[in-house]
Amino acid sequence: MIALRGLTKRYGAVTAVDNLSIDIAPGRVTGFLGPNGAGKSTTMRMILGLDRPSAGTARVGGRPYTTLRYSLREVGALLDAKAAHPGRTARNHLRAMARSNGIAAGRVDEVLASVGLTEVAGKRAGTYSLGMGQRLGIAGALLGDPPVLMFDEPVNGLDPDGVRWVRQLMRSLAAEGRTVFVSSHLMSEMQLTADHLVVIGKGRLIADAPITEVIAGSSLTAVRVRGPEPAGLAALRDRLAGHGAQVESAAGGLVVTGVTVEEVGDLAHQLGVHLHELSTREASLEQAYMELTADSVEYAAPAPNGRVA
Amino acid sequence: MAVREAVRPGNGPGSTRGGGLGGAIGTEWIKLWSIRSTWWSLLASAVLMAAASLQYAIYATNSNTNADPTDNQGVVAVGKTGIQSLGIAQFAIVALAMLVITTEYSTGTIRATLQWVPRRDRMLLAKTAVAGVVILAAGTLLGILGALVAAPMLGKWGRFPMPGTVADVLAIGVYLALIGLFTLGLGAAMRSAVATLVTVFLILTVVPAVLENSHVTVFVDAARWLPSVAGEHFMLRDSTPYPAGVGLVVVVAWAVAALAAGYLVLRGRDA
Repeated sequence: MIALRGLTKRYGAVTAVDNLSIDIAPGRVTGFLGPNGAGKSTTMRMILGLDRPSAGTARVGGRPYTTLRYSLREVGALLDAKAAHPGRTARNHLRAMARSNGIAAGRVDEVLASVGLTEVAGKRAGTYSLGMGQRLGIAGALLGDPPVLMFDEPVNGLDPDGVRWVRQLMRSLAAEGRTVFVSSHLMSEMQLTADHLVVIGKGRLIADAPITEVIAGSSLTAVRVRGPEPAGLAALRDRLAGHGAQVESAAGGLVVTGVTVEEVGDLAHQLGVHLHELSTREASLEQAYMELTADSVEYAAPAPNGRVA
Repeated sequence: MAVREAVRPGNGPGSTRGGGLGGAIGTEWIKLWSIRSTWWSLLASAVLMAAASLQYAIYATNSNTNADPTDNQGVVAVGKTGIQSLGIAQFAIVALAMLVITTEYSTGTIRATLQWVPRRDRMLLAKTAVAGVVILAAGTLLGILGALVAAPMLGKWGRFPMPGTVADVLAIGVYLALIGLFTLGLGAAMRSAVATLVTVFLILTVVPAVLENSHVTVFVDAARWLPSVAGEHFMLRDSTPYPAGVGLVVVVAWAVAALAAGYLVLRGRDA
């Protein structure tokens, strides 16, 4: 469990993270989305006690990170792929890491094997490709077997095999009851990996909702209705408008947004309208995300006080 | 949760073994010896010490015009050779101490280090302990090396008083350890290798020379309180202008001040 309360980071006049209050719950993968410069990395660094918040708090398991005696057994994090000294071998990097938290040395070879780096563990990290660096970073995050894991762009530089491996790893870590907090720009990948999304733009919270809700909230998620009776469809259209739905006419039917397919079906039944098609068209996460973040840019400029949520 | 039980690392749930300052020191120890620059710095310090000691011994022998070695004039205690030869060799040790902290910033590993050891005072204390102990040992060995290289060259002009030589050699270790910690503190405060090296070089070498050659009494007197000058008083066990013990205290004060500055910067700034 990660808890942010009023978390704020200002660099002079620039507010990188603005009054962020969220809980990142265990047992699911929480995707952390936002445009470049939205404050994702700054937020993660504040959670890890690397950057000092200008205001507010970030707690992991109820405590600030800097007060954790066995930090690596509480939180595993991959911040960037080049976190190891280029002149140190992967094994020595992990040995030093394990020693700091009293983690058994045998665990080092275990995590090296689990990320597929056993063969090259004696090579210096500076010789690693970006993908190998990511694997070493992930090995480090797993080293302390922590209940909370954070990954900043974990699939950067990985081949398709590696991408799928990371996806399965995230899913299984969450299935074991751990808190998994992942940032990424790859929406298609997030759609496959995340259960829950936190979206920020210009440092502010835009959405904190299950991924299904985010997609359902998109204007591109719609209910399609087709029927042989124009009069019936017109009546249905009026009733839907009364329920707060947006309705557009399309070839031989209607495209309805703002209500669920169940509501449309129930109304059609009440009105006795003859239907030939009642289906949903789902937006992709990418479409939903683009809409959300475009709005944030549009509405963030006049700076209303409080959260844009 | 089955997987978590199967791969439980560390010493079991709720274990309080490992970690803390001991863990942080162990980490810094592994980190120090697992990069090549440490070994190169130590090798360089040995080569520079040997070369400078040899040169000093040749100079001491050649400048002796007194034909009788039993006459005390011109006879050199070999333990002093290392002290006189530190001028250049100390910078290899300075480099070693500097790299302990500045590479963390140049490579970005500081963010990893602070995830492992989140308390910054503990992190700096661990680096201080490891660098201090390693340089104390290395410096003592350098002192022995200087004496061993100089002894055959000095020949009849050399003297080997046992207690004095031991004291000389240990003093070299202590001085270098303190200069190393001074450098470590400055490195933590400045973060940049170039800025740190230039500052240390100025304070140890350039500023004392400029002040001593100024022939302005105030400046000449001020030079005595710089770490390299005070360190030499301490190592040579001079009694003027202040006792050798005061020289030691002065060097300790420089090291403590630099570490305090490093800690203040480390505590306040984002990593």
